[in-house]
Amino acid sequence: MNGSLPALTPGLLLAGAVTAAAVSLWLLLPRGAESRLARSLGLVLGAVALAGFIAAGRRLGSLGEEAVFLTVALVAVVSGAATIVTRSPVYSAIWFALSLAGVAGVLLVLGAQFLGVATIVVYAGAILVMFLFVLMLAQPSGLAPYDRVSNEPLLSAVAGAVLLGLLSLSIGRLSTDASCCAVPSKAAAVTGAAQPPAPPTADDPLAVDQVARLGGELFGRHLLAVEVAGVLLLAALIGAIAVVTRGEAALEQDRRLAAGGGNR
Amino acid sequence: MMPLLAAGSTALLHNALLVGAILFALGLVGILTRRNLIVMFLSAELMLQGISVSLVAWSRYHGDWGGHVLVIFVLTVAACEAAVALVFVLQAFSRTGRLDAAAWQALREATLSRSVDHALPESDAVPPRWPRLARAGVLPPADEDAALEREHV
Amino acid sequence: MQSLSPATLLVLVPLLPLAGAVLTLLLGRLLGSRAHLPAIAGIAAAAAVAVTLLLGTSNQVGSAHGPHAEPVRPVEMITTLWQWASVQDAYVPPEGSAAALPGTAVSGAGGAARAFTIPVALRLDPLTATLLAIITCIGLVVAVYSVGYMHHDPGYPRFFAVFSLFVFSMSMLVAASNFLVVYVFWEAVGACSYLLIGFWFTKPEAARAAKKAFLVNRVGDFGLAIATFLLWMTYGTLDFHDTLSPDGTILPGILGQTRLADAGGIVGGAVGTAICLCLLLAACGKSAQMPLHVWLPDAMEGPTPASALIHAATMVTAGIYLVARSAPLFMACPDALAAVSIVGATTALVAGLIATVQNDLKRVLAYSTISQLGYMFASLGTGTLLGFTAAIFHLVTHAFFKALLFLGAGSVMHSMGGVIDMRRFGGLRRIMPITAATFLVGGLALAGVAPFSGFFSKDEILATLHAKGWPNAHGEHHDAAPASHASLPLPPGEGRGEGAPATRLASLTRSPAAAPPAVLDTPETFRVLFWMSLVTAGLTAFYTFRAVFMTFTGPIRVPEEAGHHAHESPPVMALPLIILAVPSAIAGWWLFSSQWLAHFLTATPSFSAPAVTATAVPHAFHMDLAIQGTLAAAIGIVIAAIGHLGRRSDGPQMERFLGPLQTFFANRCYIDQLYAGLIVRPLEGLALLAALFDRFVIDGLVNGVARLPAALGGVVRRLQTGLLQRYALAGVMGVLAIVFVLAWRLRG
Repeated sequence: MNGSLPALTPGLLLAGAVTAAAVSLWLLLPRGAESRLARSLGLVLGAVALAGFIAAGRRLGSLGEEAVFLTVALVAVVSGAATIVTRSPVYSAIWFALSLAGVAGVLLVLGAQFLGVATIVVYAGAILVMFLFVLMLAQPSGLAPYDRVSNEPLLSAVAGAVLLGLLSLSIGRLSTDASCCAVPSKAAAVTGAAQPPAPPTADDPLAVDQVARLGGELFGRHLLAVEVAGVLLLAALIGAIAVVTRGEAALEQDRRLAAGGGNR
Repeated sequence: MMPLLAAGSTALLHNALLVGAILFALGLVGILTRRNLIVMFLSAELMLQGISVSLVAWSRYHGDWGGHVLVIFVLTVAACEAAVALVFVLQAFSRTGRLDAAAWQALREATLSRSVDHALPESDAVPPRWPRLARAGVLPPADEDAALEREHV
Repeated sequence: MQSLSPATLLVLVPLLPLAGAVLTLLLGRLLGSRAHLPAIAGIAAAAAVAVTLLLGTSNQVGSAHGPHAEPVRPVEMITTLWQWASVQDAYVPPEGSAAALPGTAVSGAGGAARAFTIPVALRLDPLTATLLAIITCIGLVVAVYSVGYMHHDPGYPRFFAVFSLFVFSMSMLVAASNFLVVYVFWEAVGACSYLLIGFWFTKPEAARAAKKAFLVNRVGDFGLAIATFLLWMTYGTLDFHDTLSPDGTILPGILGQTRLADAGGIVGGAVGTAICLCLLLAACGKSAQMPLHVWLPDAMEGPTPASALIHAATMVTAGIYLVARSAPLFMACPDALAAVSIVGATTALVAGLIATVQNDLKRVLAYSTISQLGYMFASLGTGTLLGFTAAIFHLVTHAFFKALLFLGAGSVMHSMGGVIDMRRFGGLRRIMPITAATFLVGGLALAGVAPFSGFFSKDEILATLHAKGWPNAHGEHHDAAPASHASLPLPPGEGRGEGAPATRLASLTRSPAAAPPAVLDTPETFRVLFWMSLVTAGLTAFYTFRAVFMTFTGPIRVPEEAGHHAHESPPVMALPLIILAVPSAIAGWWLFSSQWLAHFLTATPSFSAPAVTATAVPHAFHMDLAIQGTLAAAIGIVIAAIGHLGRRSDGPQMERFLGPLQTFFANRCYIDQLYAGLIVRPLEGLALLAALFDRFVIDGLVNGVARLPAALGGVVRRLQTGLLQRYALAGVMGVLAIVFVLAWRLRG
């Protein structure tokens, strides 16, 4: 793309990182035949891609902040990659839990304490455990064939790379041009002048009583949406139970038919 | 807890968005390639995580609660989705005995034959021992080998 | 019935048979063997109404005062039922055209646009009243006869439904007052005829005959359609009658009294001749005249009552009616008139010749019908008032005696177990006395023997032809004086044009004087035609009595199909024969002596045009012509008696007389073969070529185009693997492509 000049160098850097990431993913994804060489090459390329992304990232104010953010972000991304390339679904789930921890860290760095904790509690504590239960119910012995091959790895990696390239390019352009990202106020709209980011106000998410303010926001302005979400949860609960019971009945019937009159 | 950085930091926004984009792209690739239904759902959750990071970053940048609220709803919907979807996964498993997304291809063109996996090469004479969880509600058979492998799980 | 207005009665005449037809159609299966009740009730009521109307109209016209009364005033009544179509500003008459008729209120607004309106209007005038009475009365008699004849036929209700529908259509045809409506019912009677010819459609011959009748009629109908278009182009209306436009002016109809009163109102010349020839073509198709007569003999495959009513008494006279109704149009085109006569007389002679060698009783009668219709055309073509009234006179008498003959033939056929070949039976007068007696009456009438009805009408036709051929003897006594010194008669157009100069002021451009001199309309032509008609009279007598002798005299012979129950027909069939025999015997004498019909018809608007009334001659009985006609008939009867009376004679005598001609006539002059060779075969070849082209070139093209998407689809089909993740991948790639394009376009 013919971006403007200031975006060119980070753009090239990002393009290289994205390409390396795509090739790395393609090499690491399960493809039936396991090759130690491909695995090593994939790991190396993945490291290169990570380095590229780190280089393309903006420098934060201080080294400490930089280090904290980098750590949690790396945990999130690397574990996420491991989630999708690991053959065993059990390991995948565990990698996913680790990735969740990284994401929670990123959220904490972004100042969303409640959400960080909630992510850990809800995902790792509830949803992931549910996945594991299903795995316990359903996993066959050994590594299933369908875990050892993947569907169209090359095309999918290319698609992911294109998506990532588009996203990161636009992310780079957005943050280069600061004026484009500010919320346009009425005054700005009238005068056409660029508006600097608004100073922290009483609604600042970073305030001390953040959780209380979030609660107030949720049950004040978004009360209706919360109620609707509650209804949705209830519906999902009932629906899941209904499907399970009906499905079991139908399954039982199928089995009897298959057994020719049924020996149960 | 004091905020680490002031609101409106472009650099933080940029980096957080990049992390969110990478997570989203990873989730996308995962959902497209992996055939295990459970891993597909994990990938979907990974995409949701990418979204959540981006939302909170924007919320931080603009000093607005909207992103936080949306993330809470994302959590809610993800919980619902997981509940319902896992039910379907279980049903599918009951019918086919597999957690394979490719087991369902009845919608294919009538003239095409069923697509099958290419023959998997027998790379090792002894297949590696993969961790395995005992089946729920069933007493696992006493297996010394499995007991020996416990430390890997 | 006195309380009902004439308009209501007029509507009732077609409506009652229609109701009968609908009822029979709906309840036919329910009624079973009583399915004739609705139809007969409807037709009987219609007949009563029609006779009432006839008497009422007759009273309006008044009785004839002496041999040559003062010109009667035209009698006409129009009932507009509804407007079928109405298009505003459809026609702008060109300046000075016939549509912008001067002498009427319209002339001022000659250039104004006019609406195209098709009113479904019924008219009542002497011609219509006469034909309505004939159609319904004979229809009633034949319907009663059919009760016996069609007994036990599986299609019993169907027969009466179509029969009733025919009476409705025919009534509408003669009562309609608009060329387009006439066209509609012209087709309707054709459709009824088709249905009745093909009544026993499981018989291949019947189906083929029905198809043939339909197709041959289509040629004539084409002529009527062209004539209708031309009339619209020329006159800007299709109505017969004058109509009052909303702004108070009179829109003259084609045959309306306004236009008829104006000497120059009718267009002559090339356009007029074209119109008349197209009308003549239509009439030839429907009335089975010379080039298009081939369908009528084959139409005898239908049930005999249908043949009697449709193919002898009524429908085939629709052509006569059309020409008679359009008489003023023909009067403006002398050549077209002469063409009518030539076609008629030629047909009469040829059909008579063919009839002499036919062995099928019904076919003899069919050719005799064609021949008699030819007489009527010959009479119409003379273009004199006497010619027109004589044609209608002959139409009326012919309707009676030909229906009688057909019903008699049907009675024979009924009794002989379906055999109609005259060589296979004989001496039937002892078995079927009533049939024999009534058939003899009909035969005498057809042959033109003195006191019977055919004699008088045929005599009038011969008289009018004679008057045209020897104009010097016109109005004088007819002593067959040589006319070599006769000066050319005034062409009708000129005499008429000078008769009313005042009305021609604004119409110099369409003066009849501009018409070229007539080529065909010469006395010499009509002299030839007269002699042809006289010969035909002899032939008529011959073949009629040949049939009578072969069927009813000699030793009794009965074909084995009849079994042992050859007997006189039941009363329900015999009674109609007797009823029809009465008018066949005396109607001619009564109508001739009282001149009631001729006087009555003169009040028809079409016949009251100055051009027509100018040709009126005093009524007279032409003894010399009567002697010639009777002599011809006597010669014919005598030859028939020599050949066929007293002993079985299956035709060797005839072959001795005629030699190779016998084969020629027996094969119907090879006209069918001629048509097959000239028209049918080349068309079949063309159709074969077209079929091959269609099958190999066009179908190949179409199939090729159809195979293209299938081939393309075969490529894309491989993508439809049914795998969820492939679909997801395709979706993601599509979204990315869209995003990519959008990002590219928004890159600035």
